[in-house]
Amino acid sequence: MWFYLTTIMVYGAVDALACLGLNMEFGVAGISNFGYIIFQAAGAYTAAILSMPHAATSNGGFQQYVLGWNLTWPLPWIGAAIVGGLLALPFVFLVGKRLRGDFAAVGLLVSAVLLNLLVKNYIPFLNGDAGISIVPAPLQSIFDPQGIGYQLAYGAVAIVLAVLVYFFLRRITESPFGRSLRAMRDNDVVADSLGKNLRGQRTSVLVLGGMIAGLSGAVLVGFISLWAPGAWGYAETIVLFAAIIIGGAGNHKGAVLGAILVPLGFEEITRFLPAFGPPSLVPALEWVAIGLLIILFLWFRPNGILPERRRVLSTVVGRTPVEVVASSDDDDSVNIGAIDEFNFRAVLPTTSVVNDHHPILSTELLTKSFNGVTVVSDVSITIEQGRLTGMIGPNGAGKSTTLAMLAGTLSPSSGTIMFEGNDITHVPSYKRAQMGIVRTFQLASEFKKLTVLENLVCAIPRQSGDSFWGSVRGRRFWGADDKANIERAEEILEGFGLSQYADAYAGGLSGGQRRLVEIMRALLAEPKVLLLDEPMAGVHANLARKIGNHLTKLCEGGMTIVMVEHELAITDEFCDPVIVLAEGRVLAQGTMAELRANSEVVEAYLVG
Amino acid sequence: MSSFGFGLITAAVLAIATVGFTMQFAVTNVLNLAYGSVMINSAYVTYYFNQRGASIWIALFAGVACGSIVSWLLNRFIYTPFQRRNLIPITLVIVSLGVDLCGTFGLQGIVGGSYVSYTMSQGHEFHILGMLLSGVQLIIFAICAGVLILIHWLLKYTRMGKAMRATSANPNLARNSGVKTKFIISMTWIISGALCGLAGTVFAMNSGVFEATSAELYIVLLLAAMFLGGPGEPYGAMLGALVIGLATEISAAYITADYKEVIAFLVLLGMLAFRPYGLFGSEKTL
Repeated sequence: MWFYLTTIMVYGAVDALACLGLNMEFGVAGISNFGYIIFQAAGAYTAAILSMPHAATSNGGFQQYVLGWNLTWPLPWIGAAIVGGLLALPFVFLVGKRLRGDFAAVGLLVSAVLLNLLVKNYIPFLNGDAGISIVPAPLQSIFDPQGIGYQLAYGAVAIVLAVLVYFFLRRITESPFGRSLRAMRDNDVVADSLGKNLRGQRTSVLVLGGMIAGLSGAVLVGFISLWAPGAWGYAETIVLFAAIIIGGAGNHKGAVLGAILVPLGFEEITRFLPAFGPPSLVPALEWVAIGLLIILFLWFRPNGILPERRRVLSTVVGRTPVEVVASSDDDDSVNIGAIDEFNFRAVLPTTSVVNDHHPILSTELLTKSFNGVTVVSDVSITIEQGRLTGMIGPNGAGKSTTLAMLAGTLSPSSGTIMFEGNDITHVPSYKRAQMGIVRTFQLASEFKKLTVLENLVCAIPRQSGDSFWGSVRGRRFWGADDKANIERAEEILEGFGLSQYADAYAGGLSGGQRRLVEIMRALLAEPKVLLLDEPMAGVHANLARKIGNHLTKLCEGGMTIVMVEHELAITDEFCDPVIVLAEGRVLAQGTMAELRANSEVVEAYLVG
Repeated sequence: MSSFGFGLITAAVLAIATVGFTMQFAVTNVLNLAYGSVMINSAYVTYYFNQRGASIWIALFAGVACGSIVSWLLNRFIYTPFQRRNLIPITLVIVSLGVDLCGTFGLQGIVGGSYVSYTMSQGHEFHILGMLLSGVQLIIFAICAGVLILIHWLLKYTRMGKAMRATSANPNLARNSGVKTKFIISMTWIISGALCGLAGTVFAMNSGVFEATSAELYIVLLLAAMFLGGPGEPYGAMLGALVIGLATEISAAYITADYKEVIAFLVLLGMLAFRPYGLFGSEKTL
């Protein structure tokens, strides 16, 4: 009985550890690590061979393996965590910025299959298919491994570890860094454009998750004392994914619940089932059940049993958060009047900028082609500081592509981009954002499962808690800074008349409201040059005019703005100068009055 | 030299499978990781009729029909409803893994875990250009080559093929230009499903013995071939399959059979890392 109980304790703790690590990667940071099980396997093997004597001297050498350092506990466990973390590094190239999430996932899945195949077939490394057995009991220097005391102590150690990891991960997830991770999960291209270093963030999460998985493997192998390729087939990762999806991705409590329900629950239930059918039937049905559970949960309860909770940040006490149900595209709910009195400059850095209209951003012979089709060709433009430059042109003229190249979202096929005298052609977009080039997107680009306020705060640069180590140092380190940032975001939210939505998920706002959130977010990123891709699309005409007025004021205050716009009335009123693109080339530039006098431009675009 | 011959047969089977897989990806943007389980289920349907006295070449059609129907059902009742919910793309991949588990292990639950093989004669042996090939292998090769030519004809010279290519390039534009994309997507799943069923059966024939989980590793070869030629590119898939098929069989002969898939893994990882849009594609394809 005791033995059974301690077994459950250890298995439960191991599964909880594994699910917590995977939840950090998948549920929080959005990395679909389909090869997660290899990190657990690496930890188990490492703990085994570090604690075992040299292969030649052990048990007459009936098994082959490398190392064999005979280390005492806890060194093998520490080694397991380190190896689990290090193993993450080669995979960074797959989850780096450029690869589609599902392609990266497939790459990781295939890596898991490949490593299993290699370990299974190459015997001298880790004893091949037979695996490693007679791994010494880790706590034997303290307890007698035969007694029930040992079992209990082992269970206790495992559970304490799981609890510590739970609190550690929660500390990171609830920090500004955790916010950035969730932003990356919701929309990585946009997070990148706001200055988040995707590769860096993903690397730290993969290493952290790998260490936790490695540790879980070490705890497991120390208990069952053997480890073989059969224990870590790629499908085991799917079991862990099922656990997280069922428990609630993004919620660490959900991950623990999932661990208890799925890997542990399945194992224990089948133990008590009467034997029926041929021996392969029960395991086969288990797999079918896991497959079905994944599909059914994703359909009927995609957020799991314990969904990720909404973070209420707003400092205004007693406000009843408005639950936004996806509403139609109207801006009735926006308090347009409030914007009139609002001074944008209040939320911007107070460094006084003198408008001297020097060339701040310029391109030379910028060209972009896809599949041999040239979309932008030889565009040479100069953006002057402190001006609101408009960019117009018919559909397919290359406006958005040009904007994307200026922001670094796309890299040009040829040509150069200069910013304040520096060549930034090859500077990645997150660095450009940090230098002060911030863009918005034509399509909706809010972080759906972040609240409106979180969307805004997340864009603020130089947050003290927005790094892995900053988040580890805890709320005492970043709390005051974060509070100031939240207040700053609330101020601008008030100015746009959207205060009542502060704690609502941004994904539930109307189209016009989401545009506003996006503009606010970009402003909070402290841009020197703000690149707006059709910011007024879907925005009420009255509101658009007011925003236009404020953009003009921002320019007077020293900001440089480039705005791609379809609505000629808007460019007419606010933009000077205006660049006309057609078929990927610069057709003309100048004031709207000059352009109207230019017959070529009128023919290409302004007619009708 | 005979490993070259085996390589050609493997490549031909792989080409059929990969073309179907890549067509599904092209029109619906789904990496259908359950493809291998549909293949093996189709192989078993063929086996069922073969066991009841039908000639393998007749039973084959049952396998093809199975692949076609199951794929259509999958798309109609699982993938399309999930896609309509506008979820993140990875959700569909996870769903397809769930389907794969149900398909593979559901089959294993029904047929048990033992190996089976078709009742068929291997035919005469032929020496062609120094390669020793059995009659069955030659027929497999001929079927695959014929089907590939048929696919080529379909894509290049029929309205349906043009509509498929248009749907894969830009579904919205295709719809606005009067293509009935819903119908085209259904047809694509029916046709690609038929390829999947055919591939499953000839794969089972070619391997001699098989069981419910035999196609587990096959998805890796498929993915490697697809990414080599560029995801969503049927002609790229054919070329990719040729390279991967030859490479696995030749490396099996010259290095060791235990590691024969390793080369496919390495190709796949290399492509994902450096050219995820295929050897000849460029980034807009994604």
